Amino acid sequence: MPNYLLLLHEKPSDFSGLSADAIQAVIAEYVAWSQKLAGEGKLVGGQKLKDEGGKHLHGFGGEFRATDGPFSETKEVIGGIFTIDAGSYDEAVEISKDCPHLKYGGWIEVREVEPTH
Amino acid sequence: MSAEDQIRDSIDHLFRHRAGQMVSVLVRQFGVANIELVEDAVQDALVSAMKKWPYSGVPDNQSAWLIQTAKNRVIDQLRRDAKSDSIDANDIDIPEEREAETRFESELTEDQVRMMFACCNPAIPADSRVALTLKIVGGFTVSEIARAYLANDEAIAKMLTRAKQRFRTIDLEIPAGIDLKERLDAVLRVLYLMFNEGYSASEGSDLFRQDLCEEAIRLARILLGHPLTSMPLVHALTALFLFQAARLTTRIDAAGDLLLLADQDRSQWDRGMLATGLDHFRLAASGNELNDYHIEAEIASLHALAPDYSATDWEGIIGCYDALLTRRFSPVVTLNRLVAVGESRGAEAALDELSGLASNYLMTSFNLYHVTRAHFLAKLGRHREAADSYAKAAELTKNETVLRFIRRKIEMLKSYE
Repeated sequence: MPNYLLLLHEKPSDFSGLSADAIQAVIAEYVAWSQKLAGEGKLVGGQKLKDEGGKHLHGFGGEFRATDGPFSETKEVIGGIFTIDAGSYDEAVEISKDCPHLKYGGWIEVREVEPTH
Repeated sequence: MSAEDQIRDSIDHLFRHRAGQMVSVLVRQFGVANIELVEDAVQDALVSAMKKWPYSGVPDNQSAWLIQTAKNRVIDQLRRDAKSDSIDANDIDIPEEREAETRFESELTEDQVRMMFACCNPAIPADSRVALTLKIVGGFTVSEIARAYLANDEAIAKMLTRAKQRFRTIDLEIPAGIDLKERLDAVLRVLYLMFNEGYSASEGSDLFRQDLCEEAIRLARILLGHPLTSMPLVHALTALFLFQAARLTTRIDAAGDLLLLADQDRSQWDRGMLATGLDHFRLAASGNELNDYHIEAEIASLHALAPDYSATDWEGIIGCYDALLTRRFSPVVTLNRLVAVGESRGAEAALDELSGLASNYLMTSFNLYHVTRAHFLAKLGRHREAADSYAKAAELTKNETVLRFIRRKIEMLKSYE
């Protein structure tokens, strides 16, 4: 089955006033979603990307320039990625629709990975 | 029910309890002066978990992960502060100790009990102790406390800031010897107020208020888990809480209106809680000391054990109220006693005693005095006088739930005329 990358985009937010109950509930929802996928054998893996925004590299002829995040022009970051096994784009989208990320104001970019052969 | 209420209804508050535990442990390690730094670090650790665990999965030992993360944040921040003050970072006292997975449950209890004594320390203004305990030991947020108290966030935040200024100067300890009793009384008083705030019918989200009752019970149980504070009077207070909490949900009808004890559906009382309450009540009797909590728990037990309202041991309850009143005068206790008198000896007898109190301003300025009087007048068929008494009571309260109750009674009385 083809692999799909789910890129979870989000706006950096301030969570300093968020209650422990709310935090617990958010974790429980994501875990329920990913465990269901894992149970169906469709979850390949997930990775959180660090919050600080990373580095941007640009080439200028033979030169290159690196800039460190956070980037003021970026209103969104990719918070993390999931890799899933799905039969088709339709199925990948169907799976992503249930991801709690959408409920909490983020959006998901679904990309099919080209097979290596 | 809002989405947030639904979350609260379905959750076991595990993270909130952990937050309180982590603050208790880390404040012991890093000192009371760093209370705010520790609170921020604990919040950061919880937020880190929220960001990371959805992708990585939940670690096997969640508590250890959380407290290590929080501890690292504290150390990082202390190093940053030291740098800006040109202090050698090596001079920072970093506690070395076993982390959560190897810590004993008893050590965690020790830290939390110490923290309860700290929040109820005489140096902390009495009116901020409940809020401070909820924040530090309970893991509540400012907004959660504000909602339970129907206050705004800024007012609670301000109160907590002032209380924490005092908190930074006190000693973290479980008082010993003769101090223990007095200091424990202050802690129990805070739990009692916390529970009553949640229990007394008022406006606002019931779930937030129910949380206060649950938290008071949880903290009382932590005290019972420590050899120094596992005392009969703590059992008495726990028994009282459980007897009351067992009927918490039956006090309000489907429309959100108040139901009196006589009208509550006893089949809905939480039998498990009542049974646990009785266990604590038995343990409460093991000492030779009698205090208010014992008597109040006994009254609650007599209500809880009665198969129905009319079969209640009213004379037993009157005896308990008499005992309470010899200890201190209280308008509420006086009126509660009169309700029992009315049930046992008749409305006429209760009204006679009420008339004897008519010159006491403490009584007549209290809306429940007039509600009680109206109740007995109505029983005797003196409907017009009863309606007048209810009207007087309505002038003396702003509580919407109580006002609705009174208006309903007045409507009913008018229909008899």
